Amino acid sequence: MNEVYLAGVGMTAFGVHAERTLVDLAGEAAGLALADAGLEPGRVDMGFFASATAAPLFKDVTVGQNVFWSVGINQIPIFNLENACTSGSAAFYLACNAIAAGQARAVLVVGGEKMCVPEAGLLNSGATELDTQLGLVTPASFAMRAVRHMAEFGTTAEQMAAVAVKNREHASFNPMAQFRKPTNVAEVLGSPMIADPLTRLQCCPIADGAAAVLLCAKEAVPSLDRCLRVRAWAYGTGDYANPQDMARWGTDYRVCASAYALAGMQPADLDLIECHDAFTIGEILHYEALGLCAPGEGGKLAASGDTALGGRIPVNVSGGLLSRGHPPGATGLAQVWELATQLRNEAGERQVAGAGTGLAHCMGGDKDGDAKSCTAIIITN
Amino acid sequence: MHSEGTAQLPPVAPGIFTTGQEGEGSSLLGGACPACDRDFFPRPSRCPLCLGAIDEKNLGSTGKLYTFTVVRVKPSWGLPCPYGVGYVDLDGSGLRVLGLLDPESLDRLEIGLPLRLAVGEMGVDLRGNPCLRPFFQPAEEGAHE
Ligand SMILES: [Zn+2]
Repeated sequence: MNEVYLAGVGMTAFGVHAERTLVDLAGEAAGLALADAGLEPGRVDMGFFASATAAPLFKDVTVGQNVFWSVGINQIPIFNLENACTSGSAAFYLACNAIAAGQARAVLVVGGEKMCVPEAGLLNSGATELDTQLGLVTPASFAMRAVRHMAEFGTTAEQMAAVAVKNREHASFNPMAQFRKPTNVAEVLGSPMIADPLTRLQCCPIADGAAAVLLCAKEAVPSLDRCLRVRAWAYGTGDYANPQDMARWGTDYRVCASAYALAGMQPADLDLIECHDAFTIGEILHYEALGLCAPGEGGKLAASGDTALGGRIPVNVSGGLLSRGHPPGATGLAQVWELATQLRNEAGERQVAGAGTGLAHCMGGDKDGDAKSCTAIIITN
Repeated sequence: MHSEGTAQLPPVAPGIFTTGQEGEGSSLLGGACPACDRDFFPRPSRCPLCLGAIDEKNLGSTGKLYTFTVVRVKPSWGLPCPYGVGYVDLDGSGLRVLGLLDPESLDRLEIGLPLRLAVGEMGVDLRGNPCLRPFFQPAEEGAHE
């Protein structure tokens, strides 16, 4: 199996880009990733484009071909991928497979959304699903996990709010984050209730934006100087067992364990983590699945400062989805962008000292009380 | 939500509940695989474990609330604002199913609350037409109606 190198990353600002098209945003990210790697567009031999909302919001299909040609890439195999919140990271997974298998040498993965439009409602898992027609929206799904976690483990609203406060504090050091104003526990808990007990500042905002990464086989890397190694790419779907334990997320645990096993690593080997903090309780559940603490101890860990910049294992030093906003096609790649920036020691005020190993974790979809997808990627410098 | 004539409205989805006489005795309909001894809700078109045929199974009308939330943002499908949803552990089958909760009882929700199924007009279906939805209400209320 060929080794997989991360040669370049690119990302647009995340926010409302009312005057720009998805192809324009995604093309900007793609161009930045190529320039970062110093690779000619003509050397790219496979492409992936990830978007969860282009089809439902705009009836746009096969957008990837438009994006790639906008940066001068044609003729090669290009794949368009929708996988809810893991659209970007699932495309990353396929790109790694293609390189590892020797099917491609330079794969550009681009993900983006233009979703700040009136037609966008809360994310759900598909209009024709019975759960959706019975009122299940993504914030409700996480709120119900929170209620259960609070009842079983004594997790408090203040501990959940601590996640939002920490990530916003991190974002204040990140020029690429959409929301950078620090907040506090009282403000988080006092913001409007979305789905009890999750308040607005505990739910990630949407955003327009795009991110791109260039993955290469060793012989195709233009310069090994700033190049990083992808040590593990794990992807699993739900088990859909019934009953689901909503305070101990089996699918989350299973995929995280798989990533550690593939990399031959333990949680203690990680220097930083970007995880799927679409909702504050999500980050707490992921602490437990990632093995940063014992099951049930995630709330205490959130409030301890151990996962803040300067702590034992900093989580979401970018500010996370809670501060960046969440365009699903771009999110998983934006997490990789942050890992690359940190592992190259280029993160400025939010730099994790001595960062050598990072993990990016993403989850998406909702089915039968389980996730539809979960990804975990480990990268080293 | 229990007004006369609602029985003529279509269900939000076919085959997920049965209503008794005059709206009494509603129960959830799911599926069971005789080979795998497993129950499902909603009823799948084939057993996902053995791909065999699925029998219709009445999953009863009672259960206990496993977890819940109240959604306070503008709802889809013309659902009430706010509305409650929860996962309910059904008595008998032990299945944990998602269900709407009685909008009149949102202040009484707690884990373990005994629940009983009701069916009434609530919101609209995929085509935007008024429809019947199943929902759970505190068990002792259902018993008195
Ligand atoms: Zn079977």
